Amino acid sequence: MRQPIRLPAGLLATLGFLWLVSSAMAQTAQPAATGFVGSNACKTCHVDIWTPFYKNPHYQSLAAGDLPPARTGCESCHGPGQAHVAARGGKATVVNAFSRMQPNRTMEVCLTCHGKDFQKSNIRRSGHTLNGVTCTDCHSIHHSPSAKFLLAKTRSETCFACHATVRAQFEMPSKHRINEGFMDCWDCHNPHGTFAPTWRMGSRPHMVDQTAANDEACLKCHADMRGPFVYEHAPAAVEGCETCHYPHGSTNGRLLRRPVLLTLCLECHNGGGTGTRLAGVDIQSAQHNLLDPKYQRCTTCHVRIHGSNADAFFLR
Amino acid sequence: MRIVIEHPDQWQGGQERDQGDPRGPGGPPHHWCGILALMLVAMAGAGLLQAQTVGSPRGEDIGGYNITDSLETGYRFALTGGNDGLYRSDINYGNGLRLLGSTLTIDSKDGHGRYFDEMLLTTAGLGNDPYETVTLRVRKNRLYRYDMTWRENQYFNPGVVISGGGHLLNTTRLMQDHDLTLLPDNRLVQFDVGYSRNTQTGPGLTTAQEFDTQSVAFPVFTDVRQQWNEFRLGTTLHLAGFTILLRRTWEFFKDDSVISLTAAEASTEANDPSVLQTFARGQPYHGSNPSWLGTLFTNRKLWAVNARLSYAGGNGNFALNELATGLDRFGGAANREILVSGNAQRPALAGDFNVSLFPTDKLSLVNHTAVSNTRIDGDSYYTEYDYGTGGLTTLSFNFLGVRTVSNATDLHYNASKWLGLYAGYTYSDRQIRVEEAESVPSIPNSSLSNLYPQESTLSGVSAGLRLRPVKAWTVNLEGEAGHASGALTPIADRNYRTLGGRTQYRTKKLQLGATYREVYNENAPLSFTTYSSRSRQASGSASWLVNRWFSLDTSYSKLHLDTVGGLEFFAGATFPQLQTGYDSIYISNIHAANAGGRFTIGRRADLFVGYTITKDTGDGRATAAPSGATGATALLDSVQTFPLTYQSPMARVSIRITPKLRWNAAWQYYGYNEQFQLFSYYENYHAHTGFTGLQWSF
Repeated sequence: MRQPIRLPAGLLATLGFLWLVSSAMAQTAQPAATGFVGSNACKTCHVDIWTPFYKNPHYQSLAAGDLPPARTGCESCHGPGQAHVAARGGKATVVNAFSRMQPNRTMEVCLTCHGKDFQKSNIRRSGHTLNGVTCTDCHSIHHSPSAKFLLAKTRSETCFACHATVRAQFEMPSKHRINEGFMDCWDCHNPHGTFAPTWRMGSRPHMVDQTAANDEACLKCHADMRGPFVYEHAPAAVEGCETCHYPHGSTNGRLLRRPVLLTLCLECHNGGGTGTRLAGVDIQSAQHNLLDPKYQRCTTCHVRIHGSNADAFFLR
Repeated sequence: MRIVIEHPDQWQGGQERDQGDPRGPGGPPHHWCGILALMLVAMAGAGLLQAQTVGSPRGEDIGGYNITDSLETGYRFALTGGNDGLYRSDINYGNGLRLLGSTLTIDSKDGHGRYFDEMLLTTAGLGNDPYETVTLRVRKNRLYRYDMTWRENQYFNPGVVISGGGHLLNTTRLMQDHDLTLLPDNRLVQFDVGYSRNTQTGPGLTTAQEFDTQSVAFPVFTDVRQQWNEFRLGTTLHLAGFTILLRRTWEFFKDDSVISLTAAEASTEANDPSVLQTFARGQPYHGSNPSWLGTLFTNRKLWAVNARLSYAGGNGNFALNELATGLDRFGGAANREILVSGNAQRPALAGDFNVSLFPTDKLSLVNHTAVSNTRIDGDSYYTEYDYGTGGLTTLSFNFLGVRTVSNATDLHYNASKWLGLYAGYTYSDRQIRVEEAESVPSIPNSSLSNLYPQESTLSGVSAGLRLRPVKAWTVNLEGEAGHASGALTPIADRNYRTLGGRTQYRTKKLQLGATYREVYNENAPLSFTTYSSRSRQASGSASWLVNRWFSLDTSYSKLHLDTVGGLEFFAGATFPQLQTGYDSIYISNIHAANAGGRFTIGRRADLFVGYTITKDTGDGRATAAPSGATGATALLDSVQTFPLTYQSPMARVSIRITPKLRWNAAWQYYGYNEQFQLFSYYENYHAHTGFTGLQWSF
């Protein structure tokens, strides 16, 4: 009796075939090298850059030893160095002198290699690109003080250099722990651009990352709020956490948009609006006397406000 | 709070290897014992290292590797006063010995290390700081790359005033991520394996409302036990210029928190005789979210394509058993048990397709189409027993479906070296379908079902320009306006517009910046069904490296927000009556500033002094509610604004004792001061925190 081909075996066979085909294609696709002099020529003058370069992730291209000249060492980014050597230096003779290049040109050079990275696949429509912010604005290839990612500044200071108002939010009493070093901006954001959000109307916010299951980035850590719940709090599921919370920091407790729950909840549960029900968001119960302190702190009773499996009013 | 002193100018590099021998001339044999020895040497201290070849001040060369290490250990202190609960929620530093921070790097000098070419280990706060992190990267060129992040957060939620003291949490959240990529530099294929874990455990206080929906809520204990695990397996293929990524993810989560009462709890409200004598609630919830992700993208000279398709099928199974006995709000004996069981599903599909065209070097056109479809539904069987007598079991079925289709086009034109322009248009169509059904299975034809569909379309346009009059100076202006036909909530974007501007002057020594951004969402005309918000944010910043021994960083931000929304609610001095014609107004005017100066005194000492302040001046009123206001007016007036001051001066000093040893000390003060009481609570606190420690590095 014939056994059905198991998926792993089939997958491995497919991958092997693809490898062979691609190997053949890659061997025929290497461009001819013209004007390349090799990195040894560069280190003669640029000894300060060359000496610690083995610590740079880009050193891999040199260590590989079998890459074409256009993908090896200094010239993989800066272009063929023959003219530069012949002229005995000078920025004008560097094919890719990043300090003199237009932002889009800089990005194109970096994407030559990094364009294969899924995390950068949306870079062309990111807000950074549209506003002329390019790779070298945030990354310092040769003088990075950052332990990872060759950032131009240490960790989130890279982002704060431009986003001063966001920095101010992280210095508020209730905030996510960026300044404490517990997390980084890129825990929630992809500065290289993202796919359309699956919450709100699918157009904003920009550059907020998503979980593996396309949820809002908040749920990467706050997994207990994710559900699914039989009784979802529809604004949280549809419009996202920002309906009630500020993501960066707030002067209000728990990153809330209002200092008290009373108004935070009532601004939606006001008897009007649109809501998931045609008649509008439900007004609160007639039993709720707002002048009674018991009813001024909504989550005292509605404890499962992010979603419940047992009670339509999030009471348990 | 951690001082990290970098010494790039002291780094002189190590001895270079013979390029002809990838293992280096005369290098020691590479084997696991050698690797372990390297790590031990790095972690152990200077004593061992002195036996090695003397290297540069920054880094030691051992066996073809360069090693740098920095360890800072010391004592952290915190002296607090005022509301300790809010201090722990906002800051939470305590006393004790800490490994304040460490960094270890091991790099192969020729890119041909036997087992790895790069190892980077960083830690912060180990030894009981509320925020502890460890990151590890190990990489072998062409073979593998492993990244690990481990984080622990001592979380404290004091049950702040807004919830009347309920829902206290004193938990530990542990998070870890592991990612292993095989053949990371391969031009044809990569494989990736990943694992993430996230747990929250610890005690807390929550509330349980017994014995009916008009009763008080009693505080009860909760033992939080939540766990989430994610496994990832994927492969990336590079074929004919296309990159194809396939990834399978398995998510598992469970919440086994239990709620209990250890002693009888009586209502604290006047004329309310209710007592909760016994209470226990178990509500295990277990589920999984298996998902697929597939992407395809390519970058060509004249075009690029980027597509994604993902599917996640979430489901959760739950049961709840709650038993409560005591006296109800009329003083009668009460005995109630609630049993709930069921399951919930959430399949979610998302697809994206990007096409980018580059007809010229100056012009790019990007069109992005996205579709997402999420369906959340679940069954919940509810049975209530009063005095041991079961009521009718109710079956609830709920469905929430959201389908969104969006398309966006961005045109980006670099007219010249000093001028760039972009414009965009976005269109979204979102359909929401809500179904709420309920039935009593034991009664035929008892089903009730309501269906609430809603559709909204959004159209938005955006435009911006970038000017670069001189190389160091950029100016960006941007704007966006949009209209959504059917916002889900009154506060969601309906008629919104944004305007923004940014200018920056950047040189190596001086950076100046200023920004302005306003976001208006005016769902006029104002009535109780509409809502309006206006946000204006402006900032200015300066960073100046004056000379080798002095640098300055400073910024100021003004964040303004005013909102107004109509309200309807029930309120009354004796019994509640419908109240109309009230508005919820909220005004916030936050002035935030920070300044920091860094001084280097000779080659011996570094000093940093800084100051941050966040001051919300509210709307300028002197008292929370105007005198004479009563009833609902006084209540709403008192929460229209929340002025406070939160400031934090700090100073840090680092003194070099020997080339490898420094003494570091820091002090930071936190002062939190609310101007008005909210619900008669003041939560003000102040704290002196800091540390003193020794940093050993090479």
